[in-house]
Amino acid sequence: MADVDITSLLSSIVGPERVTDKDFDIIPYSRDLSPARQKFPTHVVMPETKEEIQEILRIANEHDIPVYIRGGGTSHWDAYLPQEPGILLDMARMNQILDIDERNLTVTVQPSCTFSKLDRELRKQGLTYLCSEAGGPAMTVGGSVMKAGSGPHSTAKFGYHGDSDVITLQMVLPNGDIVETGSAAWPGAGKIKRQCLGPDLAGMFIGAEGVLGVCTELTLRIRPVSNFKERLLTMMSSLDDVIEFGHFINRHVGDEYLQGIYLWVDPNEPDAFLVMMDVFGYEEEIIDHRKRRILQWLKEHGYESMDPAPAHDYFDRILTGLTDIFAAGVWHFFGAGTIAIDKIRFLYKVWKEELVEKRGYKKAGFGGQVVPRSWLAFMVTNYKEPEEWDEIIKLANEINEICHEGPLVPYGIGGKDGLMPYLASHDTGYYRLLKMLKKTLDPKNILQRGIMIPKEELQ
Amino acid sequence: MRIDEYKDMIYACGRCNFCRGQEFNERCPEVFTQYWESSTARGRMAIARGILEGKLKYSEDLAERIFGCFMCARCREECKKAAQIDVIAITKAMREDFVEQGIPIPVEGAQMADSAYESGNIFQESAKAHSAWASGLQFESGSGILFYPGCLASHRFKEKTNILVRVLQAAGYKLDFLGDDQKCCGTPFWISGKMEHATKWVQDYVDMLSERGVKEIITPCPSCFRAFDEEYPSILGVETLPFKVKHTSEVLEEIIERGKLELKNSIDVVVTYHDPCEIGRYKEIYESPRKVIKALPGIKFVEMDRVRADAFCCGGGGGVKLMFSEHSEKVSAERLVHVQATDAEILSTICPACEMNLTHAVYKADAPIRVLDIAELVAVSAGIVDEEILDPYYIPDD
Repeated sequence: MADVDITSLLSSIVGPERVTDKDFDIIPYSRDLSPARQKFPTHVVMPETKEEIQEILRIANEHDIPVYIRGGGTSHWDAYLPQEPGILLDMARMNQILDIDERNLTVTVQPSCTFSKLDRELRKQGLTYLCSEAGGPAMTVGGSVMKAGSGPHSTAKFGYHGDSDVITLQMVLPNGDIVETGSAAWPGAGKIKRQCLGPDLAGMFIGAEGVLGVCTELTLRIRPVSNFKERLLTMMSSLDDVIEFGHFINRHVGDEYLQGIYLWVDPNEPDAFLVMMDVFGYEEEIIDHRKRRILQWLKEHGYESMDPAPAHDYFDRILTGLTDIFAAGVWHFFGAGTIAIDKIRFLYKVWKEELVEKRGYKKAGFGGQVVPRSWLAFMVTNYKEPEEWDEIIKLANEINEICHEGPLVPYGIGGKDGLMPYLASHDTGYYRLLKMLKKTLDPKNILQRGIMIPKEELQ
Repeated sequence: MRIDEYKDMIYACGRCNFCRGQEFNERCPEVFTQYWESSTARGRMAIARGILEGKLKYSEDLAERIFGCFMCARCREECKKAAQIDVIAITKAMREDFVEQGIPIPVEGAQMADSAYESGNIFQESAKAHSAWASGLQFESGSGILFYPGCLASHRFKEKTNILVRVLQAAGYKLDFLGDDQKCCGTPFWISGKMEHATKWVQDYVDMLSERGVKEIITPCPSCFRAFDEEYPSILGVETLPFKVKHTSEVLEEIIERGKLELKNSIDVVVTYHDPCEIGRYKEIYESPRKVIKALPGIKFVEMDRVRADAFCCGGGGGVKLMFSEHSEKVSAERLVHVQATDAEILSTICPACEMNLTHAVYKADAPIRVLDIAELVAVSAGIVDEEILDPYYIPDD
């Protein structure tokens, strides 16, 4: 880093109270939710406006200092940790809901607005985003969209946020330019349409984990609250049946029948497939009809609907409430990503044969949720820090390597302790285009240096 | 280091950020005032882990983050769900580590503990001044029920404390009072981390009260209440003490439920209630105060948006009022905004520290709101004091 007083330069932009270089302020930003190794920024700054971010990026470019972006700090794969010393933007203060447009059914938020805050305010007006993240209050809308996230609800109908719920974005590019996507880019048109005015540039930023720009505003599709819902539960004895059920949801009835289906397999009972379903609707008759079709399918395949209490427990207490979630240690997700409905057999086989049987590791469960045409599948464990750290890293790396040699698309990329090495090892046209975009938009590799693309590949 | 004892909890932090809340700056008063991740419970666990691993050292600069914690336990309430980390115990241990390692702590915090030790109260006043509030009252030495007001109620709220005792006595409680023998409960020691005299202080107090035949303590101060109820047994390593302790919220509830006072006057005012952290989240006493308020004829009771386990701190906790007064004022001003949203004329609570901090906020904002202890409302309803004390511009003699 250049020999300049970065603290003073940053203070001149945001004021001294929103810049810190103190070791005790820095250390809390050195980890995320994953077991990624600690990585320290040299400075943390809390911007409140896009203009402040513009100025920070100007200084960063001038002095060749990498800039990293942090929302709620709950990445599962080293996606926002400073891969080398630099400035960390703590976006926490950009957390406002800017506009709820009831007529056009859109909401515009700043990136660090959390899903729970958003839903709380929308519900006051009888509206909801619905496709919210799991994981509790700290999950930010911006962080989730920038990693192409999804959530426990509505995935069977709507998929990930980026599939259809993001309408427009406002981004500060690495060179400081402020751009808006979709209809927002056309003066006076408003934030009403994603795919118009040429290429879908919002799609370019969604999932880019901040390497192409800093998100400062998002407009999302919202919808009226559905007053009626049912939660169903069944236990299947064969993965083939789970797959067929996934197709049933995904094909002719899925988008209309279910707004959430979750699979969970306990490592101590690897041949028992717990399937949980959420059925939503605006009319009771519709719910009844949807429920009847599901029950009919289950009956035809020899299954019964069970007491939904465990499903309530899973969705409410664990998935969104995180209750006792760390009782057995902290979390790690691995073998996680997107995989075609039929190909979940591959991932399940890796989990069962490589992890549970061959390596004898019986603390990681296997789970997934159906999104259109695919599963978002994962293996998850709790482990004790620091004593089990080495073991879990070795294990997860081995499993990740097997999974990503196969048809599992990594859910997130992140840095060197994330899944970046797997992306970088696939010399595809896609990856070459990504590098070209990065070099064009960020010639000095200022933003998220070492995230998604190794630094040396951009030199 | 004292934090070694909490190593398992410190490493159990899953970094989920539940502690910070959905708004990011509304749940925790320290984040509300100091912004940084280092002010969150998650941040504090990262700092503690860094210290345990030798990557970070206690420093004078760090003191604001550790001693700027209001100890309101809002983060601990959330962490009860995810990882059961006792953030308060770890914060206290860190404060002790500061003192043990000779790292300067905020002067006002050190003075508070020194004053309590040297003069017997945090205001370093004479024993006579410490019991002046009781002027004109009669007590029954050796009755077994000790009325213990604590430092704040004795010095800053003489009239309120006097009224409280008149309420209790009118309801038939035969109260003993230590008079000039009364000393601070010791809370400043564990708040400041200056624990060198704590064990002897606590043991001496227990011996003194036992010799006096005390079977039950009644106190209006949640800190004193918790001191006798939790800290004393913990410091002495015993399960129980020779006496029990009750907070006045429970005693007033008993008075109302058993009809020990005739509530003959209607109080036609709009009242809201602020949950003190140390009887709310710490002891889960949420219903007793509300039952008392709702039982008083004429009162229209309205709740604030954030109440019970979700209540925002008044800004008076953790010694922050003394050590970082500007942070304390910012928090109390915010809590007053919550009060004003209810259109209440009376802000009731049942903690001298909350009453003081919120009264200061009301004065500063020149808001037409009176901050009253619930016992004062009971006193007006029972005809023990005149309703003039309800007037927002009433100024007590003290």
